Amino acid sequence: MIRNYFTKMKGASKSPPPVGISEILWSWIGAFLGISTVALISYRVLEGKGLTMIIGSFGASAVLIYGAVKSPLAQPRNLLGGHVLSALIGVTSYQILHSHIWLAAAVAVATSIACMHGTKTLHPPGGATALIAVIGGKSVHSLGYLYAIIPTAVGASIMLAIALLVNNIPKTRRYPEFWL
Amino acid sequence: MADQKAYNPVDIEISDDDIYEAMKDIRGYLDITPADVKELYGLAYRHAYERIACSIKARDVMTAQVISVKKTTPLKDVARIMAEYGISGVPVVDEDGTVAGVISEKDFFSRMGGKGTKSFMSLLAACMEGKEGCPADPIRAETAADIMSSPPLAVEAHAPLRDIGNIFSENHINRVPVVDETGRLIGIVSRTDVLRGPLLKERPCSP
Repeated sequence: MIRNYFTKMKGASKSPPPVGISEILWSWIGAFLGISTVALISYRVLEGKGLTMIIGSFGASAVLIYGAVKSPLAQPRNLLGGHVLSALIGVTSYQILHSHIWLAAAVAVATSIACMHGTKTLHPPGGATALIAVIGGKSVHSLGYLYAIIPTAVGASIMLAIALLVNNIPKTRRYPEFWL
Repeated sequence: MADQKAYNPVDIEISDDDIYEAMKDIRGYLDITPADVKELYGLAYRHAYERIACSIKARDVMTAQVISVKKTTPLKDVARIMAEYGISGVPVVDEDGTVAGVISEKDFFSRMGGKGTKSFMSLLAACMEGKEGCPADPIRAETAADIMSSPPLAVEAHAPLRDIGNIFSENHINRVPVVDETGRLIGIVSRTDVLRGPLLKERPCSP
C-alpha cells in the first residue's frame, strides 16, 4: 500500500501534444484584446472615480478563455459563475472574519472552490477573485458587495464578449462549447 | 469466463500512440492528459458494447428460413439433411411446429460407436479399426426424437444478444431455436450470428 502510494507520484501519462503556431497566435490576439479592453476602461474611464474594471484574476481567466477554449473550465457558465460566486464569498469572508485576515483568506478560497464545484462553475481564477476580495487592500474593501458587480461581473462579461468575437474567427476554433 | 473475454472487443487495446496522434489531429489545446482520454475511450466503448449487446435482439440476427426435422424423421434422413445443408445442428419440431428438441453432431457422436465416443475423430478411428462394423449401426433404426436434446433451450424473438451469448457459453451449445409465444419455431441463432450481428454492415478493412 505504501509502495503504491509512492508509485503514484511517478506520474502515469505523458504531456499532451504541443499546439501549432496559429493556435499560439490566436491565443495572443484574444488575450491582448480582452485584457486591453478591460484595462482601457479601468484606467481611462474609471480612474479617479474610486472604481476599477480589472483585477489580477482576469489574467488567469485570459489563459483559459483565449488559450484553452475547449476546456470545460473556460466556458461562459464557469467564467461568469465562478467569478461572481467567488467574489460574493470573498467579500462575505472578509466582512465576517476581517479581524483574522489569514483565516478570512483561507476560508474565502476554500469555500469558493467548494461552491464552484457544487454548482458546476469551477473556474480556477475564481479562487484568486475570492482571495483578492480579502487581501486586496482598502480600495477593494471599500467596494463591499459592489466588488461582485464592478469589476468582477462586468469585467468578466467584457472578457467573455471578446472571447466570443475572437475565438470564432479561425476555422480551427469555436467558442463556447456550451452555455449552461 | 475465458471464452467470454475473447469475445470482448474492448480488450483490443488502443495504444498510447493512437491517443496521442488523435489528440494532435484535434487542433487547439485539449485540457486533458492522454491517459484520461484513453480511460474515457475504454469506458465509452464498454458502454457502447453494453448498449449494442442489449439492444440487438434475436430477431435481428436469426436465420428465419430455418431447416428443421420432425420427431418422427429417421436419423438417416436427419444426417442426410444436415449434410446437404452443411449445418451442424437442427431443431426438431412436433406436428404443429412446436420446438421439441435440438439435434447436433454431438448428439450423434454420443450415441454412436459404443465406448463413449464423443468426437468425429474418435468415430473415424473406430471406423478405420473396423472391429465393430459401422459405428452408426446402433442408431440406424432410430428417429430424431430418440437422440435429440430435450427439453430444448429456446429464446423468444425479443431476447437480447447478451442473453443469447450467455446461453451459449453456460450450456456449451452453438445454436438456439427462436420461438414465438406459443413455442413454435420461427428461426435459429447460431454463435456465428451473434458474433456477426453488430459487425455485418461494417466496411471491409483497407489493404
